[in-house]
Amino acid sequence: MTDAVRAVRLRKTYGVASSAVVALDDVSFSLRRGSVAALLGPSGSGKSTLIKALGFVSPAEKGQVFFDDRLVVDDGVAQTDLSRLRRQHLGFVFQKANLTSFLNARENVELACELGGKEQGRRRARDLLSYLEVINREDSYPEMLSGGEQQRVAIARALANEPTLILADEPTAALDSVRSRSVMELFRKVAHDRGAAVLVVTHDHRALDVFDVLYEMEDGRLRPYQGQGA
Amino acid sequence: MNLAIRDVRRRLARFVGTAFGLGLLLSVVVAMQGIYAGMVDDATILTRAMHADLWVVQRDTHGPFADGSRLDPSIEARAASVPGVKRARPYTYQVIQREYRGDTMRIALVGLGWPDDAGGSLPIVRGRGLGQAHGEMIADASLGLAIGESLVLAGEPYRVVGLTKNALTSGGDSVAFVSVGDAELVAFDQPAEATQLERSRTVDRLRRTDLGRTQPSLEDLLADPKWRAPALASPPLAAVLVDADAHRVAGVRETMRSWGDVTVYSQDEEETLLLGGVVQRARMQIGLFTVILTLTAAVIVMMVIYNLTLEKTHDLAVLKLLGAPRSRLLGLVLQQSWLLGVIGYAVAYTIGELFYPMFPRRVLITSTISLVAPIATFAMVTLASLLGLSHVLRIDPARALEG
Ligand SMILES: Nc1ncnc2c1ncn2[C@@H]1O[C@H](COP(=O)(O)OP(=O)(O)OP(=O)(O)O)[C@@H](O)[C@H]1O
Ligand SMILES: [Mg+2]
Repeated sequence: MTDAVRAVRLRKTYGVASSAVVALDDVSFSLRRGSVAALLGPSGSGKSTLIKALGFVSPAEKGQVFFDDRLVVDDGVAQTDLSRLRRQHLGFVFQKANLTSFLNARENVELACELGGKEQGRRRARDLLSYLEVINREDSYPEMLSGGEQQRVAIARALANEPTLILADEPTAALDSVRSRSVMELFRKVAHDRGAAVLVVTHDHRALDVFDVLYEMEDGRLRPYQGQGA
Repeated sequence: MNLAIRDVRRRLARFVGTAFGLGLLLSVVVAMQGIYAGMVDDATILTRAMHADLWVVQRDTHGPFADGSRLDPSIEARAASVPGVKRARPYTYQVIQREYRGDTMRIALVGLGWPDDAGGSLPIVRGRGLGQAHGEMIADASLGLAIGESLVLAGEPYRVVGLTKNALTSGGDSVAFVSVGDAELVAFDQPAEATQLERSRTVDRLRRTDLGRTQPSLEDLLADPKWRAPALASPPLAAVLVDADAHRVAGVRETMRSWGDVTVYSQDEEETLLLGGVVQRARMQIGLFTVILTLTAAVIVMMVIYNLTLEKTHDLAVLKLLGAPRSRLLGLVLQQSWLLGVIGYAVAYTIGELFYPMFPRRVLITSTISLVAPIATFAMVTLASLLGLSHVLRIDPARALEG
């Protein structure tokens, strides 16, 4: 299978001069379609920064990002319509749920279906909510949902457009361990069944067996995971 | 999925409150502009209602509205004889204040040159013009008199035979039209006691003169009411209105310029005298305030819409990260602002329809106001939305999400 996403020598710095923080330090990375990868590492190591760079939220100032072998960001400059790429081929789950506040759970997912050009958005949205076991709250607005419920709606939304690449930043932080594991298994299923590439930032070492590949970050550098205490 | 409608639905109470507030603000601004327009229009409506080509007034005065004008009645015949003059009409003007049914009633009494001028040129909306030389009146509807009702002035009843709409003076007083003869009766009305006192004073003065002492019979002459009743002595007119053949107006004017006792104004010049003189300060005051109020309201409306857009920063950032095209974000913001504008305008319109007619003076919503107000509202809310949105889109969405 081809690489869904490939990043070459990404570099990202926050701040200037003496207070500058190198959040990504020469990070190269690739992820094939149909595989699910975990990204581990201590707080502040640059995991979210990498996710945002791969998802074109805040591009790295140096380095290239290829999507389906097509150069889409070169040294921080977009080479294509990133909005379209996002709505059609990307699924995001952010560290915070970030649902649209004036849409109820179902409408949040429906909107992502619509943006991704999927037919029968309402039915699809209900199916996804059922799948994530939040269909009973479909008419509730985000502020009425618990953190875990919000996160599950956000995952449903990320799946709505049948994305090629799913980027999830600690999607299970607000879930209990049983649910957390089932979400990870869901990502694995989506990757294997639909040929999506999934990158999940997680701190939960108990569910690592679900993943095909494990990475870890430290001080802005990426390397294969070497196991706890290594 | 229409995002604007869903957002409104979610925050309905606040949206309705904001729309209502905007409507109130808009109605105040429109009222103020209408008050200004009404005032300017009122100032000249009376001169326009007379449909005269030329106003002949006392020499070197700015009469009859801007200052006093006393004209010898013979000028009417003299003016009529000038070649090119189709018609010359006498005109008198005075403001009286009377109690009527417990209310203070201020009336600007205009004397018309009946039978030449029965009030045909006036904006009569009900009834008819004057049908006889004495005892009839055309009143403005704003006086609250009904057709057939009688008003007693100077001891004589005047029956209302016609009603006009918006016949007002520059001071906002309602106008009533009677024949010149009747107007003079009212103007020179003296109670019996006053006449008595005046007469005895005159007799006293006479007795102190040589003439009085040598000819005592003069005293009897003074007591004769014929000598004392001014109405019989052809009192002065305020103006003579001249209608001339269209192409000979300039010539008529030229002829009258050589007369030593009159000054002639065209209709336009009469209006300028009123706008530039009589109501000028009030007009500038209200005009200035109208400008200030309009600017203030514009700033408030724009700030409200701008802030409304900024409040959506988080939601807009999320939508942007989902890959929503720019048109969807624009749609969300603009449709909502337009809806606010439309509801606000509808509220203002309703308030206007209900309450402006109750204002003590006329609120004139000119076609310019009713055209420009919605366009300006539309332009302002659009501009404010676009400014707000461009501000929001400049914020790094990643930062917006963290906040
Ligand atoms: N917007 C920002 N401005 C300045 N510095 C930032 C910004 N975002 C992140 N950083 C810094 O960059 C480094 C990497 O941050 P990042 O959020 O990627 O860490 P992380 O691995 O996701 O941590 P966590 O596990 O706590 O979420 C940190 O030192 C952080 O302080
Ligand atoms: Mg993070």
